[in-house]
Amino acid sequence: MIQRSPSERIKTESRGLRGTLAEGLADALTGSLSEDDQILLKHHGMYQQDDRDRREERAEKKLERLYSFMIRLRIPGGYMSPGQWLAAHHCAGKHATGIIKITTRQTIQLHGLLKSDIKPTIRSFDAVKLDSIAACGDVNRNVVCSAHPSVSPLHEQVFAYAVKISEMALPRSRAYYEIWLDQEKIASTDETDPLYGDTYLPRKFKIAIAIPPDNDVDVLSNDIGLIAVIEDGELAGFNIAVGGGLSTTHGNAATYARLGSVIGFVSGEERVLKTVYEILTIQRDFGNRSDRKQARLKYTVDKMGLEAFRIELFKRSGFMLEEARPWSFGQRADHYGWEQNQSGRWFYTAFVENGRICDDDNQQLKSGLYAIAETGLAAFRFTCNQNVIIADIKAGHRAIIEELLERYGIAQYTRRVSPVRGNAMACVALPTCPLALAEAQRYMPAFINRVEQVLANHGLQDEAIVIRMTGCPNGCARPYLAEIGLIGSGEGRYNLHLGGDRLGLRLNRKFRENLDESEILSLLDTLFARYTRENTAETFGDYCDRAFNTLP
Amino acid sequence: MLPEPKLSNLQHLVRSLSRDELIWLNGYLTGLSGHAPSLPETVNTRALTNAAVPATEATRSEPITPDSHMPLVATRRMSIVYGTETGNSKKLAGQLAGLAKQHQVVTKLVSLEQYKTSELTREENFFVIISTQGDGEPPKAAKKFYDYVHNGVGNLGKMNFSVLALGDRAYPLFCKAGEDVFERLQSAGAKPVIPLTRCDAQYTDTAQAWFQQVMAFVATTGSAEAAASEPAAAAVPSNVPSTAPAKTEKKYYQGTVAEHINLNDKGSQKQTFHIELACEEQPDYQPGDAVGIVPENDLWEVEKVLTFAKIPRSRTFRFREIAREAEELFTKSVNIMHLPLRIVQAYARMTGQRIPDTRMNLADLLRIYPLPSDTAFEDVLAILEPISPRLYSVSSAPSAHPGEIHLTVAHHRFQVNGENKFGLCAHYLAQLRKGQRVNFYVHRNQRFRLPESGRDMIMIGPGTGIAPFRAFLAERNALGATGRSWLFFGEQHFVSDFLYQTEIQDFVQTGALHKVSLAWSRDTDERVYVQHRIRENGAALWEWLQSGASVYVCGSKDPMSIDVEQSLLDVIVTHGAKTETEAREWLNELETTDRYVKDVY
Repeated sequence: MIQRSPSERIKTESRGLRGTLAEGLADALTGSLSEDDQILLKHHGMYQQDDRDRREERAEKKLERLYSFMIRLRIPGGYMSPGQWLAAHHCAGKHATGIIKITTRQTIQLHGLLKSDIKPTIRSFDAVKLDSIAACGDVNRNVVCSAHPSVSPLHEQVFAYAVKISEMALPRSRAYYEIWLDQEKIASTDETDPLYGDTYLPRKFKIAIAIPPDNDVDVLSNDIGLIAVIEDGELAGFNIAVGGGLSTTHGNAATYARLGSVIGFVSGEERVLKTVYEILTIQRDFGNRSDRKQARLKYTVDKMGLEAFRIELFKRSGFMLEEARPWSFGQRADHYGWEQNQSGRWFYTAFVENGRICDDDNQQLKSGLYAIAETGLAAFRFTCNQNVIIADIKAGHRAIIEELLERYGIAQYTRRVSPVRGNAMACVALPTCPLALAEAQRYMPAFINRVEQVLANHGLQDEAIVIRMTGCPNGCARPYLAEIGLIGSGEGRYNLHLGGDRLGLRLNRKFRENLDESEILSLLDTLFARYTRENTAETFGDYCDRAFNTLP
Repeated sequence: MLPEPKLSNLQHLVRSLSRDELIWLNGYLTGLSGHAPSLPETVNTRALTNAAVPATEATRSEPITPDSHMPLVATRRMSIVYGTETGNSKKLAGQLAGLAKQHQVVTKLVSLEQYKTSELTREENFFVIISTQGDGEPPKAAKKFYDYVHNGVGNLGKMNFSVLALGDRAYPLFCKAGEDVFERLQSAGAKPVIPLTRCDAQYTDTAQAWFQQVMAFVATTGSAEAAASEPAAAAVPSNVPSTAPAKTEKKYYQGTVAEHINLNDKGSQKQTFHIELACEEQPDYQPGDAVGIVPENDLWEVEKVLTFAKIPRSRTFRFREIAREAEELFTKSVNIMHLPLRIVQAYARMTGQRIPDTRMNLADLLRIYPLPSDTAFEDVLAILEPISPRLYSVSSAPSAHPGEIHLTVAHHRFQVNGENKFGLCAHYLAQLRKGQRVNFYVHRNQRFRLPESGRDMIMIGPGTGIAPFRAFLAERNALGATGRSWLFFGEQHFVSDFLYQTEIQDFVQTGALHKVSLAWSRDTDERVYVQHRIRENGAALWEWLQSGASVYVCGSKDPMSIDVEQSLLDVIVTHGAKTETEAREWLNELETTDRYVKDVY
């Protein structure tokens, strides 16, 4: 019999994701939790991390590692009310680093919580009806949904699906409420979980809903992608894509990035939800539980074959998927600045470099958003490009919000950001991410400065080339779907990927390995020179893909 | 039957006698009547005719009158009392008692802590051995007695006494406690039969000489002159060693700074240095002991003194018997910081200037109130005092850290007139670099000792109070003690101020430490201190106490040790079902039996 991975044992023995979390929380001697509990903690939306920059110095001071926790909220569709924003703002200041990080999955996370900060933080969020259940771990993660309401009158309707799918795929365990919110254990509650059982999923699971023409969610990078089909101004249903996923492992040839395969169309809420549910159960039952590097749905799909997968889905759901409807995307980038939707509400998309909401030399973003939330006249929506939309503003209130955006330098900064910076993304990486091999978000702004210079040298300063950087090959910032992807391979070194398209429909390819900054910049200089010389109508990504084998 | 002046002499004698003396005299006379009518050999006739004590430094104002002396013949008695901090006084008292026994003197040997002050007026031969701590303080154990004699003790007219004052000349008020006791007893009417004798850290010879005088007095007639004139060898049997083992004396060791780490992390308000000194010679110490360190003055401060005093740095001066060049002298020997009022006032008198009663640095004194040209700097030097050693609890243990001494030193910053100031020695230690050499001596802390291996211990040591407990735990860990250990520690922040966190975690892991209660005063809205944790854990604490645990407290005296004591009393009241008075008595009993021990500063 094949040995199951240690995580499987930990989940099975966890008594509904409880483990010894309560005991570990009460252990005042250390700021950390036990290794087993750290696995369970993810299912509650948190990661234990430590400041890797400080390890050596702290060890000399006879202090343990500077452990802290990252808490990620479950915000289906990325929507927050002004009151919720105020709560997040205060929590960040009181219990975390003060910075609110918009993630690539349309939610926010706080870093740097001490163990003793966790309960007060979760209490504060709970008071405004926010939670972090299943935001990480071997479960369905935050369900994302196209963020720009202006593109479709059906946005509200589609957004409701994100919430419903998220609720449907929540674990049944009440452990979250018992451990973090001190709620009474209810003896009579049946915690039997028909979806997750006691082993949950073999690996993380991601679901996205795209509303064409926007692909801001990078829908094909998800385990399940739902592409809304709008016919005659009505929501007809969804094309279903399965088996998307980007993470790879350096040196493990069996791992690969994969785009979702569209397997058909489904309509009607009940059937849509049933389809999603049964894809989850297939992955639960067929997913690899001995090798976590082969456990995502993409490997299950490839192992089964698409046809077999469709048949299994039919057996479980009791209905056949229809032929996929035609679909296409027109834009992946966010719509910066002002937009109005069909019902006359205004929306302002502000640029947030790497999703970090704080006050800095460029803009008083955190103070500004706080001031806007205090007016109660706008809500907040996060995008998978790590930006924020100040949303749902009545026409009569636009001037008030506009004045605040100007006063805090937000509008000015969003206006002056270069296209390349506006399209760039980086993951968290060092110092807190335990997986990081190289810098990402703290290095990216300076790297973009240099790229801007190189672009300008070739007259390409107005090109919205998509550059994405991650500190490791796990792909949080979706670098495999960038025109220029930089994937950390070691300290100060990156693999350079080229040839992704601008809309997120084609994976890029590894072009060079293990380059340092000067090698990357000089190579880009050469490539930009070629691209300019070719004088092609193609985007840089399309050009690189076509000419990949002839590139220097 | 008796003619004058015999009758009046006898009446005079009888009037002066106590009941016990009359009974004794009765027996004595009865004994005499059955033998030859001569005086016993042990009575020194010279004493009867020459009772006055020679004038000495300590007694010159008060000659002893003849009628206060009893001839001691058949049963001779003396009380030896001692006030000890490091155990030296106790040891010497024991030696003296041993001598007394050889002389068939009935001896009462008692610690001042245990001494019943109500007996004081009945004492006849009363010999005090007492040490001085820090800035002229008596040992903790002698505090009650010391306060008692200071508040007036009634008439001690019957008492013959002397005081052996132990001290360390490195401190300005080095034998102050002994001097004070001597002065108080004398002013209450007691007769100093042997002058006050001051001992430095090298006390053996002086103490032996004092013993001989005491024994000569007690064993013969009670005459100090007799004592003084007896050859030492005649009074002290030759089989008594004349010098105590060398290890009992103040011995300086040299250590090289091997580690120098600020234990507090970024963002802390505190700086606490862990300093490891590597020593070629294994220092003789036990967990719980402290070391004394003489700090060096800051070079900039020395430079200012030399400048304002207009002294070339290479000029040689004599200070306390030792000649040194000025720069070295002011760096290593003379206290120039925060001069005590007595020195400021002496300087004012000497230079004829009006100077307000305020402590200041020598450099400032010389700058604001310059030395008149007709005053020699040597005169200033004469009123200055040496740099006092500072004591630091050792945080290492001999069995866990052989050849090393570890210190845990808080680098406190305080504001004086808006300027940042540091404690002299803490600053000196904080500035040390690896490879520098430090001289120190071991200061024994005789009461602050690990309990027997099988016994439980409760250690309460917030801040640098953790130092001796790190030593305790390391020692217990190394020796595999079986008793349980419980540590209470507190500081401002968990993240930055958890002193020795990883070591404490290791002690828990290896089973040397069974329970840890932590209090972080600035991590939450309300301030939490160790005393809160003590109350929270009252039931368990009471159970530990019931099963024989010892309680140790180390750290700041005020307010920490006071608040901790109150919380302990609360626990005893609540969980021991006692009244407050009973709880206090219960804790006092614990203290008397050395199960409640404090090392606070």
